[in-house]
Amino acid sequence: MKIFLQLGLILLAFCVVATALLAYVNSITKPQIDSIQQKEAEETRRKLIPDSDFEEIQGEFTYYIAKDSKTGEVKGYVFTAEKNGYNGPVKTMAAVDKDYNIIAINVIQQTETPGLGTNSTQPKFTDQFKGKTVEQLIVDKDGGVPPNCIKAITGATITTRAVTNSLKESIEMLKTQVQTKNITPNETGAKEEVNK
Amino acid sequence: MSFMKELTKGIIKENPTFVIVLGMCPTLATSTSVNNAIGMGLAATFVLICSNIFISLIKNITPDKIRIPVYVIVIAAFVSIVDMSMAAYLPALHKSLGLFIPLIVVNCIIMGRAEAYANKNNVINSIADGIGMGLGFTLALCLVATIREILGNGTWLNIRVMPETYDPMLITLLAPGAFITLGLLMGLMNMLKEKK
Amino acid sequence: MGFLGQLFTMAISAILIQNFVLSRFLGLCPYLGVSKKMDSAFGMGMAVIFVMTMASAFCYLIYQYILVPFELEYLQTLAFILTIAALVQFVEMFIKKNSPALYKSLGVYLPLITTNCAVLGVAILNITPLADGTRYNFIWAVLNGFLSGVGFTFVLLAMAGIRERLEMAEMPKSMRGMPSGLILAGTMALAFYGFMGMKF
Repeated sequence: MKIFLQLGLILLAFCVVATALLAYVNSITKPQIDSIQQKEAEETRRKLIPDSDFEEIQGEFTYYIAKDSKTGEVKGYVFTAEKNGYNGPVKTMAAVDKDYNIIAINVIQQTETPGLGTNSTQPKFTDQFKGKTVEQLIVDKDGGVPPNCIKAITGATITTRAVTNSLKESIEMLKTQVQTKNITPNETGAKEEVNK
Repeated sequence: MSFMKELTKGIIKENPTFVIVLGMCPTLATSTSVNNAIGMGLAATFVLICSNIFISLIKNITPDKIRIPVYVIVIAAFVSIVDMSMAAYLPALHKSLGLFIPLIVVNCIIMGRAEAYANKNNVINSIADGIGMGLGFTLALCLVATIREILGNGTWLNIRVMPETYDPMLITLLAPGAFITLGLLMGLMNMLKEKK
Repeated sequence: MGFLGQLFTMAISAILIQNFVLSRFLGLCPYLGVSKKMDSAFGMGMAVIFVMTMASAFCYLIYQYILVPFELEYLQTLAFILTIAALVQFVEMFIKKNSPALYKSLGVYLPLITTNCAVLGVAILNITPLADGTRYNFIWAVLNGFLSGVGFTFVLLAMAGIRERLEMAEMPKSMRGMPSGLILAGTMALAFYGFMGMKF
């Protein structure tokens, strides 16, 4: 029995040392990881709507209001949409103008099939979203009529659907969020929305 | 045995992937692009060298009965360090390697070298063995990745090598292509060996 | 979808569509190493199903009730691999004591399972958030472990069946053994790609 206790103690000692080491590394890398994630998101937002300042609105559906950095005029909204693709979640960051028409999108996270679903990150695919209205967010294979629809990537219809439908759902959510927020009057920029 | 001999044996004569046939999972999963292959290879090499050094150092104070759990703790600790540092300083690579970083823990090459080599040899030779085996693994990965990336995407290290008109053989990037590429490569190696 | 519907979807997905070996590249060492004989493949498969189910349960509990409350998520890899190693050891001792017959047929494969990345893989995948940001609950995590194990055993047995016959086949000497095994695996993976469109 004594030998088992001794062995157990040695193992325990190794565990304690390993844990302490990991805790130390974690304390160094954690802030760095967090800041990288924030910075990446910030950069993507800037790419979608250039020359803007962003204001985060937290709630059931978190989104950002993009305001012109000079005039302060509301240019649109930025949000992240997410849905299951073929191989896991597909995350898309999108910018819409005040009429909820898409300005630009960027697929920020996906684990789709290399060579097929991964083409969703290419400009060739994302550019076709520019200027689309909510009604036009339908995949051609689901009955959309070109050019008022999204052309599916060859061999990756599921990925295309994930991006398109997640955007559609998120824009609807954004609409209700923006409207409920505007009923309680606060900012000048937001008030204009009610009058429209 | 001399330091240089220990160093070079892992690269060709006892190549962990082609000759000893260990660590198949990461070889197949992360060889979709040369970029990923280098990242994975170097991460595994780092863990291999560190664990070889450490296990060689503590070989006299660990009781024989619990040596395997001790190896597991040591390897897991180094893998976690690599995982966290990569997330902090090389976020893009970390994202594309994904699940396979924590899975370095169960990469048979590392465990195999700990048990078969570092446990019996001194620190200097263990370092050489770690570097050699690690580089052998990295080279094998790169070889498979080179074939798959050129045929499947028309590029090498993201530089276009095939003419624009080349229609990529997508299958080499998908799972079946990975198996078949590695199978044919191994067959070729055997053939070359026989000729000698 | 009811419970059974969800279960069916998960089973199809784990066994056919996202098979651990053929589409996720996990557990290849035993897949290529222990698939020469039908008997040993069967023993290995059973041992893997058992350990994967147990590991899913234990790792999930440890993550949910120890690592998350104390904010120790960074210890995940260390904690999981130790759990699996301890589990395998324990199972081995238990079987040895209570069922020597079973131990005889499974015993040799048990230590190998610690380094089977499918086991650690399923434990990590179980706690990775799904598309809607939620995670599996305990029951689904265990079921996922079990079904993934079944998927592993399924292709392992198929592979062993083909390889037994391939022994007799004539082929170049340099392609014997591992190279032909890999190409065989590639052909199987190709066949499994046919299931790709089956998404519910």
